[in-house]
Amino acid sequence: MSRSEFGTVLRPFAQTRLRTLLLGAALACLTVLTGMALLGLSGWFISATALAGLSASTAFMFDVFMPSAGIRLLAVGRTASRYGERLVTHDATFAVLAALRVRLFRGWAQAGAARELAARPARLLFRLTSDIDALESLYLRLVVPALAALGAAVLAGVVLGFLHVGLGIALALWLLASGWGIALVTARRARRPAVQRGRAMEALRARAADLVAGQTDLVMAGRIDAEREALAAVDRRLARADLALHRLETASGAAWGMAGTLTLAGVLLAVGALAGEGAIGAPAAALGLLIALTAMEPFAGLRRGAIDAGRTWLAVRRLAPRMAENELTAIDAAKPAIGTSALRLHEVSARHFGSPAVALHGVSLRLRPGERVALIGPSGAGKSTLLAIAAGELRPATGSVEGAPACLLTQRTELFQDSLRDNLRLADPAADDAALWHALEQAGLARDVRALHGGLDTLLGEGGLGLSGGQSRRLALARLLLSSSALWLLDEPTEALDAPIAHDVLHRLALNAAGRTVLIATHLQREAALADRLVLLAQGRIVADLPRGSAAFDEALHALRPD
Amino acid sequence: MTSPAARSQSFASRAPRRDIGAWVQAGAALFWLPQAALLTWAVQGIASGRGFAAVLLPAIGIVLFGALRAAAEAWGSRRVFAKARAQLSVLRAEAAAALAAGSPLDRSRPASGQAASALAEQAEALVPYLVRYEPARLRATVVPLAILAVVATQSWVAALVLLVAAPLIPIFMAIIGWRAQAASEAQMLEQGGMNAFLLDRLRGLATLRALGAVDATAMRLGDAADALRRRTMAVLRIAFLSSAVLELFSALGVAMVAAYIGFHLLGTLAFGAWGQQLNLGQGLFVLLLAPAFFEPLRELSAVWHDRAAGQAALQALDRLGVRSVALPGAGASGAIGVVETSGGVPQPPSVSVQRLHFAHPEAAPLFEGFDLRVAAGEHIALTGASGAGKTALLSLLAGLQPAARGDIVIGGVPLNDRTVAALRQRIGWMGQKPHVFAASVERNVALGRAGVDTPRVAAAMQFAQLGAVAQAHPGAALGEGGSGLSGGEAVRLALARLAVQPHADLLLVDEPTAHLDSETATRVTDALMVLAEGRTLIVATHDPVLAARMDRVISLDAQCAKEAA
Repeated sequence: MSRSEFGTVLRPFAQTRLRTLLLGAALACLTVLTGMALLGLSGWFISATALAGLSASTAFMFDVFMPSAGIRLLAVGRTASRYGERLVTHDATFAVLAALRVRLFRGWAQAGAARELAARPARLLFRLTSDIDALESLYLRLVVPALAALGAAVLAGVVLGFLHVGLGIALALWLLASGWGIALVTARRARRPAVQRGRAMEALRARAADLVAGQTDLVMAGRIDAEREALAAVDRRLARADLALHRLETASGAAWGMAGTLTLAGVLLAVGALAGEGAIGAPAAALGLLIALTAMEPFAGLRRGAIDAGRTWLAVRRLAPRMAENELTAIDAAKPAIGTSALRLHEVSARHFGSPAVALHGVSLRLRPGERVALIGPSGAGKSTLLAIAAGELRPATGSVEGAPACLLTQRTELFQDSLRDNLRLADPAADDAALWHALEQAGLARDVRALHGGLDTLLGEGGLGLSGGQSRRLALARLLLSSSALWLLDEPTEALDAPIAHDVLHRLALNAAGRTVLIATHLQREAALADRLVLLAQGRIVADLPRGSAAFDEALHALRPD
Repeated sequence: MTSPAARSQSFASRAPRRDIGAWVQAGAALFWLPQAALLTWAVQGIASGRGFAAVLLPAIGIVLFGALRAAAEAWGSRRVFAKARAQLSVLRAEAAAALAAGSPLDRSRPASGQAASALAEQAEALVPYLVRYEPARLRATVVPLAILAVVATQSWVAALVLLVAAPLIPIFMAIIGWRAQAASEAQMLEQGGMNAFLLDRLRGLATLRALGAVDATAMRLGDAADALRRRTMAVLRIAFLSSAVLELFSALGVAMVAAYIGFHLLGTLAFGAWGQQLNLGQGLFVLLLAPAFFEPLRELSAVWHDRAAGQAALQALDRLGVRSVALPGAGASGAIGVVETSGGVPQPPSVSVQRLHFAHPEAAPLFEGFDLRVAAGEHIALTGASGAGKTALLSLLAGLQPAARGDIVIGGVPLNDRTVAALRQRIGWMGQKPHVFAASVERNVALGRAGVDTPRVAAAMQFAQLGAVAQAHPGAALGEGGSGLSGGEAVRLALARLAVQPHADLLLVDEPTAHLDSETATRVTDALMVLAEGRTLIVATHDPVLAARMDRVISLDAQCAKEAA
């Protein structure tokens, strides 16, 4: 991975709460250090009292107050710093992840990304959330324990340095080299199985969804047992990755354990030698031993982080492209139309997103202000592509587009988990309740909303759950009415509605469209009947342009599907 | 309403069995006892001035016991993990089998997204439950007691201090459980809430972009995240506080033991060691055991939420098996009987339905004594208002849901659990919404059926005019759930699936021309007529053009009216 990818993803960490993040790490260090000091001081205290207690006079002279107060202070301090550490690190992580989500949302909201997301929503959305969750471990499980371990190594080095300088330096270096080294090796070796695990997990998800959603097709093809077997095979793949990761986790745990044991044994030999030379006494030896005993433990805190590092690495790689700040947004801004056109396409060719197939070939089309035009033609003729071009969602491969800012009514009504009011105000954040009620009235939904217990404050469920198909469509219409745009692009506006509701919605649409320019993509008679002009598309080309009143217009209209 | 045949016992009610691996893992922690003894022996030696000679043997012993401890820990952990992971695979397979054995028309069964997350991510929580929580619990029961016993042999006062610091372990555990649960729930709330918000808005990106509401939404996202963070932290502040109590007790326990031993060695507190005076080695030994006494408890508190998550996973898997309608023949899988066809030239089947009774669960009956006879090779249109039972009848004929009463006979073979699998082999099915699998167009046509080879797939694709679709999605997998395919493309895919089947001579087709433009509808109808040549065809439709091309039109409305009369 390039350094810039890491930089892009890490920037929100640094920008959002750098001080808090550092404070969290510092508190984590303090927790580790007080824990070590507590045990070290206790060991020294016991050894010193044991020696002092050998004769009554020294026992009397021995200052018990300072060490025992110190021990109690460390005990309370350790608890306090641990509490602070957990609060601060969690608060900072949540804040950073929140900033990350906002940035990712903006990244995905750009035209090209949004189309990619629309093409394969389930997988990408699942990936996105699991990637964000994976980033959590970067700070909590990798950075914080690594710094705390560094603190432990330094403390151990300093304390042992008082006994013997060389011993202190050697110990600190050994701790860092072995402790961090084990984490590093583990992280490197875990990358492959972690990536494999991620892939297998996605495959398992897809298989499980297929098993349920595609059950009818599978049963009728006699393949339901085969699909179950395929799911089991994916699970075996996942299990292999799981086992590999666990092997690494166990191995790293054993390695840290052994490194800790070797540290203890090494320091024991060293203090034994120093004591033999008469350089130190038993209390100092006990202090050194207890510090050495606890010095490796903080490194083992890196275990989960090291195992997850591969996953985190993958998440960073996948999120980075969406987080680059100055991406091209030029697609969004369609040039304003000049003169007497509300929309003008000149020799426009375009490709489907992510596909080499050409969807439009040199299409030219002009809409006068206030004109209503229906785009008709068989499915796959390029109607939706043309709407996307007009909306500025898709950049033409060749040719030019000029037009007023447009408002697109998508084929599927998209409502959000939010109050009805906020769903409406997406179109006009400044609209007051009177304006909202007016729009609802025009859309024929006011009575239904009044009947709702919460009125405008009613919360809609996921995807607008709680409203019927017709109600949802009316809400989408009300939203369209609230938008100030003078060019409406309607993609099969009443496709999934029952005929009576569809006619009512279309009637209201026509009433409110006065003064606006309307472009409708449709294959239904009732929708095309609103138009002053029918534009017939076939295989990406305009093959006919029929004004109302001509015989060809009526013929084309009647060839469309009736209700 | 779990079908009794599906599973004898729910996942959640099965108690995890404790394996030898967990005991070995728990026992590994006890290797600290000899290590601590060796260490203190060495310090005692240093104190008595023996220098380097005092530490050599203990150092070797410490390394040996350390190696033993690491090995035991690793072996136990590997064993426990392997068992737990195998158990997860078994549970997943059972849940998948339960899903597959339910009728696809059962409205009470879980949605595909819900099933996918229960079977995939959520089920993963089972492994930490079995691998981390269970051994930690065992260790928390065994290790502190063993250490307490050893400490008590040295000094009953020190043992008493430890006992007091860890008041009553059950109460302690309750405190731990309460706080850990609250903490993990708060954290899940934070993550889940924000992910849900983000996903909801990303799903509607087209609309947000169309309304120019991207910036406003980004700001709302930020505000919502901040508000949620504040609420979560309010919960965590209290949750962490109660875990701090645990930390404090363990730290104070160590401090008090240290203080007691210090004063004891000074001679100030001469009692407590069974009438003896502890020496430095003994005192240090007791001190070293004090943190090890608390360690398993702290460890347990760290993995406490694994239990809740693991049990939630088991319950989620259980819910996958809940169903109210079983898939006919699912129990008899593997025993695919061969249906006798009248030898010689294969002939399309006749279909006979007699005295059929059927109702959706908790709904008014759709069919009460319904009769239908379709001659071999006949083409029939089923019409009627939506809800009249067109789709229900087709799926009854295909054995996708069981009838309450009555007989269905296809080509002289009565449809039942034993024959349904074989009968389905001669049925070509074209549903209203073909599921698009996450695979290439070719594999979506073939569906891995036996006897469907590449040339056959190519021919079917050409027949259904799927070439353009394949070109638009070269080589790559089609999107999940068919996103990226237009309505017309999806119908053509369904046609190709029908065309590719070599042995299907009874075609059941549901609303093939709904929501299509006239031109595509005509083409689909033509293609269907070509396919139905020499086969029996039953098509549910309310397209008058399509119905007019059938040999006979049967209105289910009329049927109901007749029943009523």
